[in-house]
Amino acid sequence: MQQGEGSETQVTWEDQQNINKFGRLNNRFHELEDEIKVAKEANESLEDASNELILSDEDMVRFQIGEVFAHMPREEVEGRLEKMKEDASKELERLEEEKESVLAQMAELKKILYGKFNDSINLEED
Amino acid sequence: MAASTSSSSASLPSVTERRGIPAASFVEDVETYLQQSGLDVNSSLSFLQERFALLEAFFPPFSRLQQYRIVEMKLLAQQRDLQAKIPDIEKCLDIVATLQAKKGTGEALIADFEVSEGIYSRARIEDTDSVCLWLGANVMLEYSCEEAKALLQKNLENAKASLEVLVADLQFLRDQVTITQVTTARVYNWDVHQRRIRQAAMET
Repeated sequence: MQQGEGSETQVTWEDQQNINKFGRLNNRFHELEDEIKVAKEANESLEDASNELILSDEDMVRFQIGEVFAHMPREEVEGRLEKMKEDASKELERLEEEKESVLAQMAELKKILYGKFNDSINLEED
Repeated sequence: MAASTSSSSASLPSVTERRGIPAASFVEDVETYLQQSGLDVNSSLSFLQERFALLEAFFPPFSRLQQYRIVEMKLLAQQRDLQAKIPDIEKCLDIVATLQAKKGTGEALIADFEVSEGIYSRARIEDTDSVCLWLGANVMLEYSCEEAKALLQKNLENAKASLEVLVADLQFLRDQVTITQVTTARVYNWDVHQRRIRQAAMET
């Protein structure tokens, strides 16, 4: 983010706070993109596990808890997997919502800052 | 947020530092700032960007921006550690909960575990009232399932709270970096503007 040559517009404390907020939101946006990627992979893994479980016909399934694989009856594994899938899906939704909110706030700030500084400020990704 | 028409100093930062991180002071007016600091433009830019002698013995003479970067790296490393620690504690809680659930049934828990890389073995965990927790520094203590759950829960809460504080520290830090960068740009622009005025004055 740079400013242009010899600009005359004064920068007030409020402007500075807006710029700071934009910076924070931008950082959060990138963090969210990474977190969403991880969450999507988790959702897919759980989906795959679920499918594998349906295909297999064993009674005892080895379910990973921490570092070990515990032998568990099939129904219990099904139940656990369902719960995990639900949690993962909610988490993904929450992250996507936060991302939308961050993007909206950034757009709002861009309008304000470009409005005051137009070419003297650059808020785009380099 | 209402738009202000005048440059008001209604809510200038009153925080001078946060947990050892010095706050960057906001410059209301560049000309006044330069006069008050008694520095010319180049010295001022050096102060912000380049080598800068410090009173605090803790930091060797780095520029403000460099100091901030150093602290940022330290905080990011701590954040990564905490973010790795939290899922580990959650897994431990899961195991303790599973063992407790098995207690009522009288059955043993059969688990396959890794003996060495690529080699697994089967373990039979009988009905038990206690677990051992690894506390670090080659120390492992035996706890009842209830105590273990309480301890792990407390550790989890502490880790999450620490992470929150850390994230707030990083946000504060990044704000100070932004303020410093903007101030640098403003001092530079002011200088360019002054030169233009002088140039124009000479030509008339």
